[in-house]
Amino acid sequence: MSWVTAVWSMNAAACLTLSGFYFAVWCKQRQTPMYLVFSCSAIAAAAISVFELWMLNSTTVDQYEQLVRWIHVPTWVLTLSFVAFVRLYLHAGRLWLVWSIYALRTVVLIVNFIFPVGINFTAVTDIRQFSWGGQMVSVPVGTQNPWGLLSTISLLLLLIFSVDAAITVWRSGDRRRALLIGGSMIFGAILAWHVPLVIWGVIDVPFFLGFTYTAIVATMGYELSNDLARVAGLARELEISEKRLNLAADSADLGMWEWDIARDEIWITDKGRALLGFDPSERINRDRFLSVMHPEDRDSVLQTLENSMRAGAQYESEYRMMLPNGQLRWMTGRGHVEFNRNGQPVRMRGASLDITKRKQAEDQFRLVVEAAPSAMIMVNTEGQIALVNTQAEAVFGYSREELIGHPLEMLVPERFGSHHMDYRHGYFGDARARPMGAGRELFGLRKDGSEVPIEIGLNPIHTSEGLFVLASVIDISERKQAELDAARRRNEMAHLSRVTTLGELSGSLAHELNLPLGSILSNAQAAQRILANGDANLPEVREILGDIVSEDKRAAEVIRRLRLWLKKGEVQQHPVRINKVVQDVLKLIRSDLINQQVTVHTELARNLPTVTGDPVQLQQVLVNLMVNACDAMADCNAPERRLLIRTAIEDGSSAVIVSVTDCGGSIPEKKMEEIFEPFFTTKEKGMGLGLSVCRTIIAAHRGKLWATNNADRGATLHFILPVMASDKASVTTNNGIG
Amino acid sequence: MSTPSSPTVFVVDDYAPGRRSIMRLLRAAGFVAAAFASAQDFLAQYDPQAPGCLVLDLAMPAVSGLELQNILTQKGSLLPIIFLTAHGDVSKSVQAMKHGASDFLTKPVNDEDLLAAVRAAIEKDRALRQEHAELAEVRARLATLTPREREVLEYVVAGKLNKQIAGDLGTVEQTIKIHRAHVMQKMRVRSVAELVRLTQRCGIGIA
Repeated sequence: MSWVTAVWSMNAAACLTLSGFYFAVWCKQRQTPMYLVFSCSAIAAAAISVFELWMLNSTTVDQYEQLVRWIHVPTWVLTLSFVAFVRLYLHAGRLWLVWSIYALRTVVLIVNFIFPVGINFTAVTDIRQFSWGGQMVSVPVGTQNPWGLLSTISLLLLLIFSVDAAITVWRSGDRRRALLIGGSMIFGAILAWHVPLVIWGVIDVPFFLGFTYTAIVATMGYELSNDLARVAGLARELEISEKRLNLAADSADLGMWEWDIARDEIWITDKGRALLGFDPSERINRDRFLSVMHPEDRDSVLQTLENSMRAGAQYESEYRMMLPNGQLRWMTGRGHVEFNRNGQPVRMRGASLDITKRKQAEDQFRLVVEAAPSAMIMVNTEGQIALVNTQAEAVFGYSREELIGHPLEMLVPERFGSHHMDYRHGYFGDARARPMGAGRELFGLRKDGSEVPIEIGLNPIHTSEGLFVLASVIDISERKQAELDAARRRNEMAHLSRVTTLGELSGSLAHELNLPLGSILSNAQAAQRILANGDANLPEVREILGDIVSEDKRAAEVIRRLRLWLKKGEVQQHPVRINKVVQDVLKLIRSDLINQQVTVHTELARNLPTVTGDPVQLQQVLVNLMVNACDAMADCNAPERRLLIRTAIEDGSSAVIVSVTDCGGSIPEKKMEEIFEPFFTTKEKGMGLGLSVCRTIIAAHRGKLWATNNADRGATLHFILPVMASDKASVTTNNGIG
Repeated sequence: MSTPSSPTVFVVDDYAPGRRSIMRLLRAAGFVAAAFASAQDFLAQYDPQAPGCLVLDLAMPAVSGLELQNILTQKGSLLPIIFLTAHGDVSKSVQAMKHGASDFLTKPVNDEDLLAAVRAAIEKDRALRQEHAELAEVRARLATLTPREREVLEYVVAGKLNKQIAGDLGTVEQTIKIHRAHVMQKMRVRSVAELVRLTQRCGIGIA
């Protein structure tokens, strides 16, 4: 056998093999017509090779005429397949070129069979034989058929189509494919030009069109095999990801299902079967599914299901399954319905999740909230009430149904409403557990319109449904009342103590009043005498009257102070300048100090910040401390009776300290605290309430009162008062819940 | 300070309006008055010879009214003191009176009460000063006696007869008579009764 026969036969066999293989592939994957197209082109290439071998060995003109005519059949198939492959596989090539090529090639085929010899020759006159590679090969000699130009044009169109498709693919970025497929086809289309050249006797080579096409087919086959390999890889990845998905679904207690609605068959993953309580092999349909569902939940689930099947809405429901062991399992199902072209629901796919733990946690949360001793209100980010407990109903006077779903602002007094909304938005912006409205008095609005003093703790709660705030509300009416009662008792006590102190100071106070009264009387009587004497000295009378007026005012001032001192009214909360209190007290007990021959020194700090409180009560404290200090020095010699009163800023300007220092005896260490106890006294007449009342008063002013002994002699009593908030920073006096 | 012949009312009070009003009252009533804001001020200008009286505030810082009273007593002052106070302190008024206060008045004081007290005090001062002057006169006469005459005087006022005195002193009755005449002359008395009255005022008598 000659080598030409061997090589052309092997080429045909290779093409046949490829064709057969991809035909088999196509049979398995009929949705991919590419394989069939490729199979066709491969079989056509094989046929062309066979025809060429036949022609090379042909010896008669008649035989050659037949071969040249019939070779157009595989060529037609091959051309059509190539073009189809480019369109299908590369998604490239102009459609008008496709149809032009198809039409022209078909015309060529038809014309080929109309003419007696074919489209290439009007007649084959001879067979030219020449030696090629040591082998004798035959090529035809004859008269050209002018219609053969059609075949040449179709070849040209194919070239243009290939170049155009290759450019398109190149531009789309897939340069490798453009080069491989496009390049091979262009290469093939160019090489195909050897046929007319041989026929025209320009060159002496055997026809090798089969190889040209084989090269293209091989390239196509290589590309397809790449795809096959990728598909295999994808299949493997798919398998892995499916395993992962199953693992994830299993560990999340997620069961996936698909319901073939027409056949009423439900496919469920193994995990899903286990979750829903079905046997692994059991056949499941809609009724079977409903049968294990808790009867109370069936209607709502069916309603949701129907809604989804009718309107195509997302299916979502929560229901309980009754497990064979009698337990209940909370499930949530989600899915969507697929419809056919007629709008009929055909399939439903979805997943079911075991939410028993969540439900239990929710129930526990509800129980905890319900059992909480304070009123609990849970609010969503829109400010709507999501959950309340019985205590909340009691505090606000609303029933649960009247609260849930309504805006929280219904529980806020109107005067705080708008502020409150701002506060609420602010809180959701920076949600953390904290008490609400620090430093503010908070009030809630009850259903009957009354207000209730409350205290609120806020806790953010992150749930699957978003952020909520759980407000714990405590009704502090009783506490407020108790505080008021305590304050009233304290004030009564303070008043009583003031009255007592006044009794002790009465001589001194009488003195303070008698001084101006004495002046007035003497002045008036002097004036009477001056007038009676007849020598009316008007300037002196004028002076006298001036003195009378000022002395009268002085007396009135003493009485005003006394009335203030004795007044039993509401405790005032004023800004108080402590130095003013010290000066007022010094006026009040001036004569007592003179009488006891006590010298007072003051060291009053300038620019002291104000404190908040009741000026009279603070005066009372100072009077008590000073009277005590004077008493402590009663046994000293008169020049040694020195009293020092100091005021100063303390604790970095957040407090004011006042101290009263005497030069009397020391306080025994163990009595340092005892002296502040009620009924402790060292005086014969004293009740022993002075210092204990002082301490109560200072405590009510959020301050502290204590005693120390001096280094040399005597003792010092100190009290410290917090500076008014407005002197440090601006105060907020607003209210709100949330 | 006024002339010794016209009594002055000294007013010491730390309370200025009160001091002014008292001054006006006293002057309107025709008294010569002088005002002081503190005990120290008064002491700085105090003249024991000046007649009059002191209107003194009880409660004053530094040196109180009672302390001033003590100081004046220690200085041998006879100036009558009228305490005037707005403070009705019983214990202090008792203390003041014990130490020889002329009067103790409380503010507001009626003008008549105050002026009466001032008049009484001035009168008391005048009387005291007169008595003191008389006493000084008697003492001066006593000082002119010789020791022997002084001895004789003591026997005379004791009611002894010349004879008895002469016996006791170891001399003759005639000598005693001469001494006795000198005593009567030097003491400017005419009768023994008059001599006894004078010597009694000076604390001389029978032991």
